[in-house]
Amino acid sequence: MFELFVAMFREEWRIHAVLFGPAMFALLPALIGAMAFMGAFLVPVVNRALPAGDLAAIVHILFLLLGAMVGGFGLVGNEVMNRRFGQASFVAYAARALPLSEQRIFAAFVAKDTVYYLILWILPVIAGVALASPFIGLPPEAVLRLFLSLQLAFLAGLAGLFLATTVYGRSKGAFAGLAVAIVVAVGAFSLASGALPPFPPLAVYRDFSWPVLAGTVAAIGVALAVSLLLFRPQSAGGERRHPDRFTGLRRRLGRLPYPALGAKDLLDLWRSGGGVGQVLFSLLLPLGLCWFLLSLLAPVLPSHGVLLLFAVLAGVLASTMYTWLTAFDTLGAYACLPVGVGDLIRSKLGLFALLQLVPAGVVLGAALLSGGTDVVLPALGLALGVSAWSVGVTVYLAGLSPNVLVYDPRVLLTYLAGVGLPVVVLVVLGLLHPWLGLLALVLIVPAVLVVRSGIRRWEAADSAFF
Amino acid sequence: MAMVIEARGLSKHYGETVAVDSLDLEVPAGALYGLLGPNGSGKSTTIRMLTGQTPASAGTATVLGVDAAADPVGVRRLVGIIPEQETPPSFLTAAEYLRFAGAVRGLDGIEEAAAWWFEFLDFGDKKDVLCKDLSRGTRQKLMFAQAFLHSPRLALIDEPLVNFDPIVQHDVKEFLVDYVRRGNTIFLSTHILEVAEEVCTGFAILHRGRLLATGTPDELREAGRHLPDVFLELVRQDRNHV
Ligand SMILES: Nc1ncnc2c1ncn2[C@@H]1O[C@H](COP(=O)(O)OP(=O)(O)OP(=O)(O)O)[C@@H](O)[C@H]1O
Ligand SMILES: [Mg+2]
Repeated sequence: MFELFVAMFREEWRIHAVLFGPAMFALLPALIGAMAFMGAFLVPVVNRALPAGDLAAIVHILFLLLGAMVGGFGLVGNEVMNRRFGQASFVAYAARALPLSEQRIFAAFVAKDTVYYLILWILPVIAGVALASPFIGLPPEAVLRLFLSLQLAFLAGLAGLFLATTVYGRSKGAFAGLAVAIVVAVGAFSLASGALPPFPPLAVYRDFSWPVLAGTVAAIGVALAVSLLLFRPQSAGGERRHPDRFTGLRRRLGRLPYPALGAKDLLDLWRSGGGVGQVLFSLLLPLGLCWFLLSLLAPVLPSHGVLLLFAVLAGVLASTMYTWLTAFDTLGAYACLPVGVGDLIRSKLGLFALLQLVPAGVVLGAALLSGGTDVVLPALGLALGVSAWSVGVTVYLAGLSPNVLVYDPRVLLTYLAGVGLPVVVLVVLGLLHPWLGLLALVLIVPAVLVVRSGIRRWEAADSAFF
Repeated sequence: MAMVIEARGLSKHYGETVAVDSLDLEVPAGALYGLLGPNGSGKSTTIRMLTGQTPASAGTATVLGVDAAADPVGVRRLVGIIPEQETPPSFLTAAEYLRFAGAVRGLDGIEEAAAWWFEFLDFGDKKDVLCKDLSRGTRQKLMFAQAFLHSPRLALIDEPLVNFDPIVQHDVKEFLVDYVRRGNTIFLSTHILEVAEEVCTGFAILHRGRLLATGTPDELREAGRHLPDVFLELVRQDRNHV
């Protein structure tokens, strides 16, 4: 089992090292560490603006969010484990020949992914902050506590979402019951005590004690173990049959530029177990957390500030819907058909535009619920404009393989700069005056131009699939 | 005679590797042309270049009068292709995949043709099964049907027979012979030399990306030789030569 983990670990390294060159891939954590180092210098500034201790809470919840964003194993697990998926995980595929249970192979896969995320994203951030600590007056004990608590926050998000998606995969009813139970429990606690329930990883940072640490680790361990036990590999389930949905879907998408390609992508998304689950776990849940985070900032923001910032974040997150549409494609599906890379990108963007109804609905709902109806238009403008621009940058930089190329530090850095700069400008404008947020719609023009040159770029490339 | 495939100096480099080395090839209309060669000799790469799936590093390829480098999608619109790795898209069923391929090719009413293929290749019971869950051979059948759905004048097919059972192999061989008899052209790569000898009207042997020989089974027959022997001899010679 450990050997399997090592083999998968090595394979993951090799895949990326071959794609980007080993030095480039190794540069990724360094880059993230450097950004965290620079970001850490903002800590004293932000701390002065916020009520005491809130920044720590926000950072920990951010790490929880990061964990939740990668923890959907219960949703993607079956694809990983499907023996015919082949491509995605070669060792997971080959391990079928060994006398190991599916559960163990999957466990090794989850362990490999978790350790990779820790090494590539989480530990570099902590290291960057640690390096900056002498300059920002963070005592060494605090750094040590952060080292533990941030990892725990990340793992809590990952384990929590793994559990949620696994339960969801087994029974939607049980999942709904669990969700209601949690909401009721949290609500009851808040009503009774007038505060949110404590978040154990944050407690590890704030008032460290061994029992709290042990309890948190144990809880995460139990969540992971239960998820692994509950996870039911489906590949033994035999042939999946479906009646023809393609014809009807294609007709309904008749207005899009490539109805057939769009219908195929939607079926991929739907039948991969994505669809509703994907929207729930990759969009609505993170957005809920974002809303919660932002509402902590409400005291220091101008009125409607929370809603407008939320709209910007919704835009950035919504742009990742493009990666959903590319996740299941392989070159083989098109190699024999008369479609070019440009056709594929244009088709996916058409579908993407349609899917923007979801974030638009979320922002609309948030505006209604938060009493921000008077700024609903600029909020929508911000969400859609930012989403269009972010997806444009994604297409230019990563073509049809955003999931893979995000690990290329050059791509990641350009993406962060390309999306970050306009976002910062828009946030400032929106906070100055809500209606300035409508300016975000102007971004659609450069977005179209960037997409066009992106299409030219990827059509000329040797291969658009990785 | 009109040539449906004309390659001049066609080459493909992958870094240091020379997959195809300055290939000159002409395939006349109406041929059932076999591309032969050991593993890694460049057969699949050649087919990928001819069909505009991968750009050539040097040289030109004209397929049915269309320049594969300038208009790769145009080539794919005209020809039928069975790629080496049979991977119909993930989450469509077999029947949906044929509808998808038909729709992308702008065909109307492929239902009849699809029904014929399900019957002919004997996999109608798998119509509604997700492509992911099909057996290797069944996926190969699907890719075969897809390649001929639009009755192309030229089909380039990479190792179409390997995963088929003996009965299907037999039927497919007959289909190919009949297909060229109706005036179309087939360009196929294969390791099954007996099949090549039996059905092909012309062949080319590749080794290490270079063209070792071209010929026809008729020429061999007149010389009293068998294709498998000639193949072994040529390849071994070339191996010792380097
Ligand atoms: N995408 C690629 N990247 C790097 N090298 C490649 C790539 N595709 C093929 N090659 C190399 O090019 C050479 C020719 O490969 P090709 O697949 O064309 O051979 P083939 O004749 O089809 O072999 P087989 O009979 O095994 O199918 C091989 O050395 C192979 O390793
Ligand atoms: Mg080959």
